[in-house]
Amino acid sequence: MSDGGKENGKDSEPKTRKPAGGEDFVRAIAKIAVAQICENEGFQSFQQSALEALADVAVRYIKEIGKTANLYANLAGRSECNVLDVIQGLEDLGSIQGFPGASDIHHSLASSGVVREIRQHVSLAEEVPFAYSLPRFPVSKEPKLPPSFLTAGEEPLGEHIPVWLPAFPHPETKSTVPTCNGGVIAGDAARLQEQIKVQERGESSVMCMQQRLAANNGSEAVFGPGDSSKGKRTVDINPFLAPPLLYGEREVSSIVPPPRFIGGAGVANHVTGNMMEGFALASPIEDSQNMLSEVDERNKSMKLDGRPIVRFKLSSARKSLPAFKNVIAENEGDEELACSFGTRDDEKDEMKRRAEQILKESMENPSDPAQL
Amino acid sequence: KRSSDEHTAREREMNQYGGQQSSDGRHDDDAALTEFLASLMDYTPTIPDELVEHYLGKSGFQCPDVRLIRLVAVATQKFISEVATEALHHCKARQSSVVKDKRDKQQKDKRL
Repeated sequence: MSDGGKENGKDSEPKTRKPAGGEDFVRAIAKIAVAQICENEGFQSFQQSALEALADVAVRYIKEIGKTANLYANLAGRSECNVLDVIQGLEDLGSIQGFPGASDIHHSLASSGVVREIRQHVSLAEEVPFAYSLPRFPVSKEPKLPPSFLTAGEEPLGEHIPVWLPAFPHPETKSTVPTCNGGVIAGDAARLQEQIKVQERGESSVMCMQQRLAANNGSEAVFGPGDSSKGKRTVDINPFLAPPLLYGEREVSSIVPPPRFIGGAGVANHVTGNMMEGFALASPIEDSQNMLSEVDERNKSMKLDGRPIVRFKLSSARKSLPAFKNVIAENEGDEELACSFGTRDDEKDEMKRRAEQILKESMENPSDPAQL
Repeated sequence: KRSSDEHTAREREMNQYGGQQSSDGRHDDDAALTEFLASLMDYTPTIPDELVEHYLGKSGFQCPDVRLIRLVAVATQKFISEVATEALHHCKARQSSVVKDKRDKQQKDKRL
């Protein structure tokens, strides 16, 4: 007859609670210890859920002892716990189950029944040491500090820089092109250290964007987030570090208040084609299907410098119709749009003429609201 | 330091409880306790010290004394072993009662 069978039914459903990330190792050790104790008692097998539940109970017991002992120590005005604090904590926990001498209110803690019971248990039970040898945990990693000016033996670049600060990266770093964690503006000391090691070893590693800033080269290529193991070397122009555009280098439209006759339709610089359909639906004359086909043919009203603001069509009551040529360019991309007007000069003139026409009409009919 | 703490604790108890114990008894108790704690160092509890230290640290228990860690470990081991013993008794009692109820002489499956 087997002594134990499967142990079950004690606490069949442990609470579905996700332990913290670093807890897995400790909980596994607790499970092993509890299983060893039970095996010593005579059990032969263990259901997983029951083992987890019992290990959880043991962990809570330890935590409860610690909490109670700490409470008693703080009550006595101490920050470190005493053996008597622990005994009092054990008494509190054992008071539910009962121990010999619990009802004796005038007993001293040193001769507490709890201690006697524990002593009996120690003398009677076999000594079963834990199956594995454990290191002290949690193991904390030593943070790698970058070498300061003093330890690196370098001279700081100015009197205002104290020698105990980490040294600047070497200018050779910008020639090699290691990957970088994109978006990390705040310099990480560990990464700087790693980067210096890269130079020595000649391998690619993770490098901080601050390197780029320290290299003081605005047009330097900066890399998107990459995998250091792969060692990618993609070069992308970082718009934040690109040199500023000089005046007149690129056309930028000036802001023009929307003409009054356009009314409450608003000014939208980047209206997509769908919005235009929405505007068109209000028009009784055109339907949305025809609108897209007529996009190519029509011109829009626009400002004198050629960048269109208004995207909706004017009704057929007007003599001139808005141009839609730049709508296509708009949909393809803002940059393209901006560039397109720089290249298509003849269209610009035509648009200018139309814009003037529309303005004239607006002057003639100031109260005529735009019919969409 | 520990003895001085015990001394203050004893005095506290005396003030609380009226000091009914004789001084000899008190010393015996302390001596017994001290001896027990010393004997704990020879005994290796099944629950490792690192585990106990980790969870005691989580609840704010500050003590550099290893003997207290061992005391907590032994207390937990005693608790778990009591639970396991009770469970074993329940398991056996359930098995035997099932056989009796059904009055079945056949060998029952011992798995639960």
